[in-house]
Amino acid sequence: MTIVLGYDESPGARRALGYAVDLAKLLGDALVIVYGAEPPGRMGDELAEHFKAVAERGRAALDQAVETATAAGVAATVELVDEKPAQALLDVADQHDARLIVVGTYGESPLRGAMLGSTPHKLLHWSSRPVLCVPPPADAGE
Amino acid sequence: MATQSDGAHPEATLKPGAIGFISSMVIGLASTSPAYSLAAIIGPMVALVGIYAPGALLASFIPMLLIASAFYYLNRVDSDCGTTFSWVTRAMGPWFGWLGGWAIGMTGVLVVGSLANVGVTYALLAFGADDLVENGWVVNGLTVALIIVMTAICVIGTELSAHFQDVLIIAQVLALIAFAATALYGAFAGTSELGSITPEFSWLNPFGAGGAALTGALLLGVFAYWGWESAVNLNEETEGASSTPGRAAIASTVVLLVTYVAVAVSVVAYAGVDFLTENAEEEEAIFGVLADEVMGGWSWVVLLAVSTSAIASTQTTIIPASRTGLSMARRAALPKAMGHINPRFRTPDVSTWTVAVIAIVWYLVVDYVSENALYDSLTALSLLIAFYYGLTGIACAIFYRHELTKSAKNFILIGVGPIVGALLLFWLLIESIIDMSDPENSYTGVAWLGVGPPLVIGVGVFVVGVVFMIFWRIKDGRYWQEKTSVADPVLAAGGHRDADGNEVAR
Repeated sequence: MTIVLGYDESPGARRALGYAVDLAKLLGDALVIVYGAEPPGRMGDELAEHFKAVAERGRAALDQAVETATAAGVAATVELVDEKPAQALLDVADQHDARLIVVGTYGESPLRGAMLGSTPHKLLHWSSRPVLCVPPPADAGE
Repeated sequence: MATQSDGAHPEATLKPGAIGFISSMVIGLASTSPAYSLAAIIGPMVALVGIYAPGALLASFIPMLLIASAFYYLNRVDSDCGTTFSWVTRAMGPWFGWLGGWAIGMTGVLVVGSLANVGVTYALLAFGADDLVENGWVVNGLTVALIIVMTAICVIGTELSAHFQDVLIIAQVLALIAFAATALYGAFAGTSELGSITPEFSWLNPFGAGGAALTGALLLGVFAYWGWESAVNLNEETEGASSTPGRAAIASTVVLLVTYVAVAVSVVAYAGVDFLTENAEEEEAIFGVLADEVMGGWSWVVLLAVSTSAIASTQTTIIPASRTGLSMARRAALPKAMGHINPRFRTPDVSTWTVAVIAIVWYLVVDYVSENALYDSLTALSLLIAFYYGLTGIACAIFYRHELTKSAKNFILIGVGPIVGALLLFWLLIESIIDMSDPENSYTGVAWLGVGPPLVIGVGVFVVGVVFMIFWRIKDGRYWQEKTSVADPVLAAGGHRDADGNEVAR
């Protein structure tokens, strides 16, 4: 089976990667690392340039994650999807009939998360699969 | 092993099939922000040309229509919502491209203050806090606060749901039409307490007023339609093949024109020219005053429509302006920091806050210096809009020069139309500059440095741009290495290419 990991530059993401790699190794699963590259604000000028800028960041993050996974001996593929992060994870999880979705969190208050928009929060409501939310290490907190 | 899966998208592509008929029609309306535009221009326009305001509004649409054709065709070859900056750079080289990008970015920046100000003023009026509107500290404080909040929302990337936006814009148009209908009824039934007059067809004659007043009014008309080209630009994203966006664009245009002309006619008919001329100096709030007169206890409907229209537009204005900054920075045409993407929100945060800071400083300075801040900055903005629209029209014909003679349709829609549109706008630009260089022609009669304030603002923005451009050319010449090119014949004919550049049958 497959484990889907949402990987970006959030503080919890590196730790989430660690957990996802451990789990994949333990269960003999493949790892699919996802980055949803759609920027907010679909309307308006220079959208394509904004898209490219976000996708570049995503590609850099994904390359780094794949290296880590490969070094640990886990088969990893990457998907850069032109959807918003939560939707991208749900779509990819469905495509691969994933066992589990793993995401890093910001480890912030629910109110802050609701105001700023939280991918884990959306996933917990929308996903029909189990979701594992990995907070950033305690010493990295505010 | 690590592999790039098939699901990876190497190039950024926009999702097809995202938008339906109602939504594309709404985008056409929302991008011009009709309630705000009318509230902002109807006062100055009537003060300039009196009963011929409806005609001037109709006439200003013609160059807009011709330039929209240029946007449509340029979008086809450089799809995914490029702008004047990318297109003009390709067609006419980096110098013109940079100036086009500067103009488009600065128009976005400069209008934000006016949008937020109108949003605040009309919200206060809608809630009956009419006294506070007179208090400069309250209005300016709230305006700056609103700009900061809207910028934060843009940086965080929060969006209203498409459905909610649809409801908002439809409510705005309905409120405007209700206002126009009530005012016209009042004018015909003689219930207006102002000096109402009966509408005549001659009001639609754009040349009725003539002279400097006319060019001033036409320039404001260009401002009223500013953004309308988005309605024709969304083809690739709209579901239901090629007919849906076409019909939606036509529908939104008809609705827009009918609303503008109906409101202009009803304002003139209900209030009469005398009342409007007497209250010319209050034109910033004249639409609010008239709403109270016409709708009585229901005026909050119109006032709230104007307020939501203006507030919603701050967001749709900040985003493109900041993206132009991002786009220019990524091509080394602006400092690299402007291209910074916030890792969490995925928005160009540095560029967005830069837009906000310039907008706030600008708003406060103009408010302090000018006796007629709204009119002066809108007219100055219109000069910049006319400049970059005109540039886009010329760029279209140059970029497509090898395609023009392939069919009569190409020749007219890609060549003659955009060029005529551009010439009309440049004519308007030059005529206005000549008129404004004589402050007597400004109906406020104020002079800065011996000429009309809008001209000082417009030229000032342009000169700052040129100076900054030369500075940046000396500091970092990479962007100036870009070469001009011509339209790809396959894309120009409406075809597509796949990722490897091979032609794909439709």
